[in-house]
Amino acid sequence: MSLYNFKKIMVVPPAKSFIDIMLSRTQRKTPTVVHKHYKISRIRAFYMRKVKYTQQNFHDRLSQIIQDFPKLDDVHPFYADLMNVLYDKDHYKLALGQLNMARHLIDNVAKEYVRLLKYGDSLYRCKQLKKAALGRMATITKRQASNLTYLEQVRQHLSRLPTIDPYTRSIILTGFPNVGKSSFMNKITRAEVEVQPYAFTTKSLFVGHTDYKYLRWQIIDTPGILDHPLEDRNVIEMQAITALAHLRACVLYIMDISEQCGHTLEEQIHLYESIKPLFANKPLMIVINKVDIIKLEELDETRKNVLAGVLNDENVPVIQMSTVNEEGVMQVKIEACERLLGFRVDHKLKTKKVENILNRLHVAMPEKRDEKERPTFIPDCVLQKREVENVIKQKRKLEKDIEEEMGDDYILDLKKHYVTIPEEERYDIIPEFLEGHNIADYIDPDIFEKLEELEREEGLRLDSGYYEPPKLNIDETLQEIRDMARQIRTKRFTLRDNKRLAPRADKPKIPRHKLPHVRDRKVDKLKNTMEELGVDMSTKEDSNFNKSKIHVRRSLVPAIGGKAEKRKDKESSAIVKSTGQTLKRKAPKHELGLTNVVVKKKAQIMAKHDIAKKLKKMCLKGEADRFIGDLKPKHLFSGKRGNGKTDRR
Amino acid sequence: MALRTEFENSSDIGVFAKLTNTYCLTAIGGSEAFYSVFEAEFAGQGDSPVIPVVHTSIAGCRIIGRLTVGNRHGLLVPHNTTDLELQHIRNALPDQIQIQRVEERLSALGNVISCNDYVALVHPDIDKETENIIKDVLKVEVYRQTIAGNSLVGAYSVFNNSGGVVHPKTSAQELDELSSLLQIPLVAGTVNRGSELLAAGMAVNDWTAFCGLTTTSTELSVIESIFKLNANLPAKITSDLRASLIESMS
Repeated sequence: MSLYNFKKIMVVPPAKSFIDIMLSRTQRKTPTVVHKHYKISRIRAFYMRKVKYTQQNFHDRLSQIIQDFPKLDDVHPFYADLMNVLYDKDHYKLALGQLNMARHLIDNVAKEYVRLLKYGDSLYRCKQLKKAALGRMATITKRQASNLTYLEQVRQHLSRLPTIDPYTRSIILTGFPNVGKSSFMNKITRAEVEVQPYAFTTKSLFVGHTDYKYLRWQIIDTPGILDHPLEDRNVIEMQAITALAHLRACVLYIMDISEQCGHTLEEQIHLYESIKPLFANKPLMIVINKVDIIKLEELDETRKNVLAGVLNDENVPVIQMSTVNEEGVMQVKIEACERLLGFRVDHKLKTKKVENILNRLHVAMPEKRDEKERPTFIPDCVLQKREVENVIKQKRKLEKDIEEEMGDDYILDLKKHYVTIPEEERYDIIPEFLEGHNIADYIDPDIFEKLEELEREEGLRLDSGYYEPPKLNIDETLQEIRDMARQIRTKRFTLRDNKRLAPRADKPKIPRHKLPHVRDRKVDKLKNTMEELGVDMSTKEDSNFNKSKIHVRRSLVPAIGGKAEKRKDKESSAIVKSTGQTLKRKAPKHELGLTNVVVKKKAQIMAKHDIAKKLKKMCLKGEADRFIGDLKPKHLFSGKRGNGKTDRR
Repeated sequence: MALRTEFENSSDIGVFAKLTNTYCLTAIGGSEAFYSVFEAEFAGQGDSPVIPVVHTSIAGCRIIGRLTVGNRHGLLVPHNTTDLELQHIRNALPDQIQIQRVEERLSALGNVISCNDYVALVHPDIDKETENIIKDVLKVEVYRQTIAGNSLVGAYSVFNNSGGVVHPKTSAQELDELSSLLQIPLVAGTVNRGSELLAAGMAVNDWTAFCGLTTTSTELSVIESIFKLNANLPAKITSDLRASLIESMS
C-alpha cells in the first residue's frame, strides 16, 4: 500500500555462511560421481559445470542484494537524506559498489578457469582447477565480509524504520527536547510513544495516525533539537532536521512556557528563529505547551517581551495547550489539520487533476418544472425514533441469533412473516401442479369470470367488425394506380429473379481444358440437322459417317481379308488407312492361345483357384494385397557385412 | 443514517437486496447475518417491524436487487420469476403494494430502471408496454434517459425522494438536466472505494442507506448528505466537504 517498503529486503548473510551456502548448494545441485576412466571430454564437462554453477549462484545472490537495497538516487529525497544521516551515504554506496565489483571478479574467475579446464588432460588436473576456481571465488567473497555485515545492519535498521509516506497529509512536531511533543502525539494518535521526564527520550522518528474530516492524517514525532549549528548536530537531531527539510507538511513548533524542559524561553525563540528557513513554504504553527503550570497572560514582562516577536506575527498562529489536562489539544489538532488541508487544496487547485473531478463537487439543484409536491415518505415511528435520541435499544431476537442458537438444525422459515394469513393456514402445503394444471394459473378466485368477461368483450368487438379491414371504394384512378403498381412489382420480381439466375462474375469457373469431354459431333445429330434443313438422309443408312481413318500403330493388328466379323466395339470400327480395312484388335494377353469359349472359361476357373490358393497360403486379403511385413528386417541390416551378405544371414 | 455492510464477503450489497420505503427484499444467503442487518435496522416497537424484510429469490437467483425494481407503490419482477416465488412475495408483502410480472426482453429490471416514488428513469430501448406497466404499477412519470453515455440507468444511478447519486463521470450540465427532470438534488459520486456501479454498491430509502463495507468515509458522508439521512443539507457537499473531497480524490 505504501510507496516505500523496506521490509522486504532479503537477509544478507555474513561472509562465512555466504560461502558455505554457495558451496553446499553446488555440492547438492550438481552431479558428484566421476571416474578417471571416463572420456576426458566428459570429465572436463563435469568440472566445468561445477565451476559455472557456483559462479551463477554467487552472481545471482549478489545481484539480489544489490537490487534489493534502495538506490539513494531513486528514493524520495527525504528517505535519501535520512539514510545518509543514519547509515552514511558514502559508506552505503561504497559497500554496494564493492559488492558489484566482487560480482564482476567472480564472473571473470569463472570464465578464466572454464577456459583452463578445456585443456585439463586428466581427472586430477581438472579437479585441481575446479578447486582453485571455487577457492578464488570464496576468497573474493571473504574480502567482502565487512561490507556484508554492514549491509545486514542497514537492512535490519531499514526494516524497522516507520513507514512514512512522504506525499500524504502529515503534521510534524518539533521543538526542544522534553517540551511535550511525544505527549501531544499520544493524545491525538494511538501510537503510544514513550514519554519520560528526561531529554532525548525520543531518539528516532515515530509515526502515528489520526482522523479528521473523513481523512487520515500522519503525525510525525521527531526527536528534540538543540540550538547549535548544523555541523554540530548529532544523528538523532539530524533525523528531525531531515523530516523538517523534505516533508511538505504542517509544522508544529512546540514550546515549553514553564521552562521545565531546562531551556529558557529566549533559547526556545532563538532556536525557532535559527531553524526558520526549514519552515519556508509550509503551514506553520507555534504551540505553547504546559499552560497548566503558567498561562501566557501570567508571564512577567521580560518574558512577554521575548515572546512578543512571535506573538505579533500574523502568519503564524500561536495556540496554547496543556497535554496534562488536555486543554487546547483538540484545538491544536483541528487548527493544524485545517491549515494543512487548505494549503494542500490550494496547491492542488492549480494543477490539472482537479479539473477532472470538478463535476463531483457540484450539487445539481432542481429547477421547478411543475407545481406537484414530491414529499418524502418516512413512517412516523422512524421520525419519532429520530427525535428521541439515544433511546434504550431493546435487544431484539434477530434471525441471526436464532440461527446461532439452533446451529445445524436451523432451517430458514420463509413463511413466518405471512402476517395476513392465519397461523394454522400458513404452513399448508400447496402442490405446484394438480391434475395437470398449474395451481398458480388458478390462484385468482374470479379467474373464470374475468376470462368470460374478456371473451364477451372480444366477441362484441368481433361482432361489431372491430378487426375487419376497412373497406375501400375503388374509383378509376385508384384502380389504375393499383394496376400500375402490380406491373411494377412483377417487373421488379422478374428482374430480381433473373439477376439471381444469371451467371455471376464472381462464381468460380472451370478452365476450358479441364471441362469433361463431351462428344458433340454425332451421326444422329448430323442426320437430325440435315433432315431439319430438308436433306433426305434415309438413303445414307450405310454411309461410313462414323468411321474414322487411322494409322496403324503397334498395338493394332490389321485384319487381313477374311469374312466380315461382328463389330466388337466402337473402336474396332475404325478403318486402317494403309489397308482400307476395318481394324482388328489384338486379343488380350490372358486370352491369347485360347481357341474357344469353353477353354477360356476353364482357364478362368483355374486362375481363380490358383489365386485363392495363393491368398490362403500367404494370408493375403486379396489379389491386390502385396503386404510386406517388414521392409527392412533388422537381422539383415545390422552389424558389419562383407560381400554379398545383405540378404542371407 | 448510512450503514456499512456486506453480503458473504461481497461489498456489492445492492445486488443482493432491494430496499424501498415500504418493504425490503433480501437474498437467501448461506447465513442470516446479512438479513439480520436489515432486520435490526427496521425493527419497530413491539413485534411488527417498520417495514417487512423478506427473503426471496428471483428465478432461483440471488441477484434480486438487479433483477427487480420497485418503490413504495409496487414491485416489478422479470418474466422468469417462478410462480412460487411470486406467490411467496405476494404473501409476504402488504396488500396495498402491487406486484407485477413484466414480459420485458431486458430482464434485469434493476439495471435498466431506476426510480423513486415519483419519477423513473429507464433504458432507452425498453418496451412501450413495459413503460406503461411502470407508469401504472409504480405510479411514476417515466423518462427514457442515459447517464454519462451509459444506457443502464438503473446500475449507474441511485435516488430516493430527497436526493440522488449518479455515475462519477456525469458532467455538471447533465447533472443539472437530470436534477430538473427528477426534481431532487443530484451529485456525481462513487461507492465502495471508487466503484462506479452505484446501484450495485448500495441500497437506499428515504431514511436509511446501506453501503458496501469498503465504502470510504468521504463517500459515506456524501451519501448521507445527498440522501438527507442526517441533519446536513446536500449543499454541505460543496461547502464543508469540498476540501476533503478534493484531497481524497486527487
